[in-house]
Amino acid sequence: MQQLTREQQFTISMAIENNTDAFLTVINANKGIIYKVANAYCKGSEDRKDLVQEIILQLWKSFDKYDDQYRHSTWIYRIALNVAISFYRKETRRKEISNPIDEGLLYVADSDVPKNVEENIRFMQQCISELKELDKAMMLLYLEEKPHREIAEIIGISETNVATKIGRIKTLLKQKFANK
Amino acid sequence: MEDTEILNLWKTYDRKLEENLVLNRRNADDITRLKAQSLLTSMKPLKIFTVVVGILWVAFVDVLIVNLFHVANPFFLISAGIQVILTKLAIGIYLYQLIIIDQTDISEPILATQEKLASLKSTTIWVTRILFLQLPVWTTFYLNDGMLESGSTWLLALQFLITASFTILAIWLFVNIKYENRDKKWFRLIFDGKEWTPVIKSIELLDQIKTYKNENAGL
Repeated sequence: MQQLTREQQFTISMAIENNTDAFLTVINANKGIIYKVANAYCKGSEDRKDLVQEIILQLWKSFDKYDDQYRHSTWIYRIALNVAISFYRKETRRKEISNPIDEGLLYVADSDVPKNVEENIRFMQQCISELKELDKAMMLLYLEEKPHREIAEIIGISETNVATKIGRIKTLLKQKFANK
Repeated sequence: MEDTEILNLWKTYDRKLEENLVLNRRNADDITRLKAQSLLTSMKPLKIFTVVVGILWVAFVDVLIVNLFHVANPFFLISAGIQVILTKLAIGIYLYQLIIIDQTDISEPILATQEKLASLKSTTIWVTRILFLQLPVWTTFYLNDGMLESGSTWLLALQFLITASFTILAIWLFVNIKYENRDKKWFRLIFDGKEWTPVIKSIELLDQIKTYKNENAGL
């Protein structure tokens, strides 16, 4: 095998460095998506921490294959939701990876949201956590006010079906708040 | 609460995150240096190992059958033949799973990806059914004409009882190991343990996917 010159090695390491920087910038700009998805699919803080880590790891693994015909948010939603839904499948490796990184990747600093609003937010999160996996994804995208076209692209159903599903989700959410 | 109020509530949550959510850049940077495998490739090694061991076993039994075809007793040949056919079916399922792993991309739409992943896991149930179906042949491969002609009646009766019970049990399990029976006591006994939870959940997810797809097709 041909040996790389020092210059070639330097170019490769710079490219890797730039790629890492670009990735971290994308993640930082979209960290809210990752946190919200993890929060919707994991109740416990330890599980949530692990899921955030797994999502970021899988985003990094797919970063080279990112297709720029889609927005960053569409790409992140697809991977984050796919990982979150499949998360229960990989108990062992998660723990193995979590060893070197003992602190959380994302954390929320103290906020000054009024208590009653905070309570309503918590209730809404509880409503979301009670949904089935796919409905949970739809609910998140609805609350994020994503256009139907983008929701259709993320979930992989028709725009008409998105409209029907969202109609149902709205009714369900209103019922839950009414029965609160 | 009205739609707009609910959406405003979510916006407040979003704003709160926007203002207070912090990415631990050092830890995120560490992640990019981890030598961990992607979600799907991590499933591959064990499946490849199983396929290799399976192929070696099948090749060994096939060689035995071919070489001993004219000298071995029919009980052995038929038992080994059935065992090897069922093992080949199980290897086929593992190969199918490896193909699905290669075809799955987690940056694709949720429904398509989850359908592949859930089918992948749920086919594991088929492997279990096939393995149980092999049970009776392990009670017959050592039999021969001499044993049947000169063996004691009690021993033959015991042999018949064991083979018959194993056959009934194998067929019963083959027919009844299905998602619909997941809450039955015997099912939980067989599929007890963490490694089976993903399989059962995958089948649940397949039901959800089916509903989504049917509604999609109906519109």
